[in-house]
Amino acid sequence: MRFISVALAVAGKDLRSEWRGRELLPALAQFIILAVVIANFAFDLDLTTGPRLSPGILWLVLVFAGLVAFGRTFAAEREQASLEAMLLTPAGPTAVFAGKALAAAALLAVCELVLLPAMAVFLGSPLSPLVFATVLLATVGMAALGCLFAALAAQTRARELLLPVLAMPLWIPFVVVGGRAVQASMTGAPLNLQPLAVLLDFDVLFVVVASLAARFVLDE
Amino acid sequence: MPLAALAVAGLLIAGAMIFLYAPEDDLQGQVQRIFYIHVSSAVAAFICFGIVAGASLLHLWRGGLRADRLGRAAALVGLVFTVNTIVLGIIWAKPIWNWDPSQTWDARFTSTVVLGMVYAGYLMVRKFAPPGPQAMRLASVVGIIGFIDVPVVYFSVRWWRTLHPGTVLGAAGGPALPPAMLYTVFITLIAVLFFAAVLVAIRYRIEWERDEKAARAAAASLELAQSPGGPGERTSSLDWG
Repeated sequence: MRFISVALAVAGKDLRSEWRGRELLPALAQFIILAVVIANFAFDLDLTTGPRLSPGILWLVLVFAGLVAFGRTFAAEREQASLEAMLLTPAGPTAVFAGKALAAAALLAVCELVLLPAMAVFLGSPLSPLVFATVLLATVGMAALGCLFAALAAQTRARELLLPVLAMPLWIPFVVVGGRAVQASMTGAPLNLQPLAVLLDFDVLFVVVASLAARFVLDE
Repeated sequence: MPLAALAVAGLLIAGAMIFLYAPEDDLQGQVQRIFYIHVSSAVAAFICFGIVAGASLLHLWRGGLRADRLGRAAALVGLVFTVNTIVLGIIWAKPIWNWDPSQTWDARFTSTVVLGMVYAGYLMVRKFAPPGPQAMRLASVVGIIGFIDVPVVYFSVRWWRTLHPGTVLGAAGGPALPPAMLYTVFITLIAVLFFAAVLVAIRYRIEWERDEKAARAAAASLELAQSPGGPGERTSSLDWG
């Protein structure tokens, strides 16, 4: 119970400071729109190629937006040296990590709410509830891993460099399964919920693993 | 040293068997001879990866330098064998699959590439993290999570699409290879694994000497700072005098 209240307090603190400062989200929204615009011109899309290529564009933009979002979660704490203060409290590193991951996942989910409509408008991607569900499910596991490696990279010299190198190989399962689910949904294949179940399995696995590992990463 | 010579001799024997003893493949011709080293390096790479994960776990659990040094040594050797596996696989795949991307990225190729990336990340964390216990702890986390991720990648791609030939050695009703090829496979496998073990041992020694040197340097600078008339003493007399 205490664990949950601490995690929620940390997540609330992160979201509140983002709401008051409004730094990360506007920048990320701009990043996403620009990426979609670049994809449109890079692939020279029309009505037939748009829907066919949009699953790939979706995952590419999502992965890079995730890297930016997760990189910032611990960078801000580091700049103000507030992470040490938080770890000095009796809160426990795992609860702090869970809170930060929760806040980062919420921020990325907001980014997705920008990304998917932007793709529908600019690329003509056919959206469906299944696409939203897939992307949201993938966000949970990606946030757990991304936050863990952001916390790890924040303690090193080249953190902007290290986070993509560490996080991207580990996100591949989400991109493989999620990519297939979005592809099937966008090309109008019959409804298949199996990829969602697999994504849920990955979420459970990586959330547990990341929470177990958080103690060693945040142990200053 | 004698072990290293033995490892090289083993590789030479394996090479002779691959090119002189093993029969030519009916379908694939000479290219198929890549198979022996390709599979053996893949096995060596995955065993090294297991050692990295085990050493990481041991380091997080018990601490200490020895497990960490083993992890460092196995990661570097494993990366070499992973790259070797991938390069040989590409050379072999070119004439057989003609490099069609939809066929190339099958489960084993993808998971081996991810394996190489995780090794590279493991070594990179060591390079960029502040040296000492922190670098060891952070790298251990990468080693363990990477170990969990690679099979997940394998199965998620396999569930999607895969092209590699099914298990040849463990097939039902005995191995599906002629005996001459089978002996070559086993000799090559043993030679390559022995070679990998020797490389890990050599690397372990290099890391051990590096640790010793760092410890000596730290002790020497501490001694210098504490000795009368040393830099530490002089600075303080300058400051207060």
